[in-house]
Amino acid sequence: MTSGNRFRIEERGPAHVALIGVIDENADLTPLPGMAQRGLLQLDLGGVTFINSLGVRDWIRLQAAAQAARVSLELCNVAEPIIHQLNMIIATRGTAKVTSFFAPYACDNCGREDSLIVDAVAHAATLERGQAPAMVCKECGAAMAFNDFPERYLAFLQRD
Amino acid sequence: MSESSILIVHPDRKTQRVVQRILGATGYRVNIADDIEQAIRLIGHHAPVLVVVDGSVVLSDRAEAFFDAAEARGTEACMTLLGNMNADDVPKILMRGAVTNLLVHQMPTLAEELTITAHKLLRRDLFGLDKYLLWGVDPRTAELKQGSDRAALVEQVANDLRSAGQSPRVSSMAMLVTDELLSNAVHNAPVDANGNHFRRDWPRDQEVQLLPNETVKLRWACDARYVAIEVNDSFGSLDRKTILHALGKNDVRESGGGAGMGLALTYRSCDHLVFNLSPGRKTEIIALIDVRQSPTERLPASSYNVFVER
Repeated sequence: MTSGNRFRIEERGPAHVALIGVIDENADLTPLPGMAQRGLLQLDLGGVTFINSLGVRDWIRLQAAAQAARVSLELCNVAEPIIHQLNMIIATRGTAKVTSFFAPYACDNCGREDSLIVDAVAHAATLERGQAPAMVCKECGAAMAFNDFPERYLAFLQRD
Repeated sequence: MSESSILIVHPDRKTQRVVQRILGATGYRVNIADDIEQAIRLIGHHAPVLVVVDGSVVLSDRAEAFFDAAEARGTEACMTLLGNMNADDVPKILMRGAVTNLLVHQMPTLAEELTITAHKLLRRDLFGLDKYLLWGVDPRTAELKQGSDRAALVEQVANDLRSAGQSPRVSSMAMLVTDELLSNAVHNAPVDANGNHFRRDWPRDQEVQLLPNETVKLRWACDARYVAIEVNDSFGSLDRKTILHALGKNDVRESGGGAGMGLALTYRSCDHLVFNLSPGRKTEIIALIDVRQSPTERLPASSYNVFVER
């Protein structure tokens, strides 16, 4: 399923779809609630490269539509551009549950910067303390540092 | 007639000295007040062309009396320094709706921002991203002639920055800034003879062919300190009140063509946002992303300036 040629929805399995590309005025998110099964829809957001203010509005509408249809959204591999919006505009969080997300890390030893997957379920206790889990540099094996203020980047995990 | 001067209003002696040294380089006499009452007395004697105040002054009960006194004496502009105040005060300052120049950064960035802001105001020479970049930097230029070209231009800016070695974070911020500013120039800037924003509520997925007087000019550059993105339209319809209201927005507009969040998202995605307004003639918006600092050094607040050509 495509909207223009910059955004597409890929079915990965039952009630499991991936959003890929640019979420802007040309991205149609309206079919998504209908793809849920037994009240659940898992969205893989690892392929989202960009979202603008119009995409944000459609994302908020998607959250509202899902709630109205009693569909729980589970977000996995949430890309950094989406995390920034979740942090800037609280309404984008809705009631969706984030199970994993990308986060910025930097290696003090070799200078490598990476966007790494954080498992929000496995590291729930660490994240609840407002800390980012430890990561190792793929290039030199040294410990990587979280490359943002955890209280700023992880704000989207707060539910109040 | 009294000598042209600048007035600094700040309770901290060290900050007074730092700001005095920076602004002394403009060649103007610099007067200093420790508090708002002393500042009001000084305004009566010196008629400063520019006042630089601590954020606490803006939030004080006497702020209105101070700004009225400055305006009555012909002060060109008031710059506000956030200083050591918490960045959480930015929304409160925005809500006052009166601060047109807010500088939040500490030294040495403060020195750059103060100097450029003061010179722009004092020389009445407002336009161009070149003022924020080092000598020798050659900005790239593009023109938007139809709405659907916006995506390609955004991608071009991002590719340019990536190929220059900028991080995915910086190119991602630049993409958002470029997209929102171009979209604003195509859909919100155009006004008809009666001042109506005739394209504001058009669906954004509808193609827009821009007339020669409607084309939007985009320039961008990086000098290893800042990524600078400049967007120009030839309507000059954006005004100070609209800007100050838009910067503090937190909610998405449900009706109409746009989400009403473009300027707010742009402000939060850059380190310094500059509006150069020539009413009825031209609007220029410049976003600066500081690429010297890692995200852990980046303040959770940004500077902004609203300059109006007289």
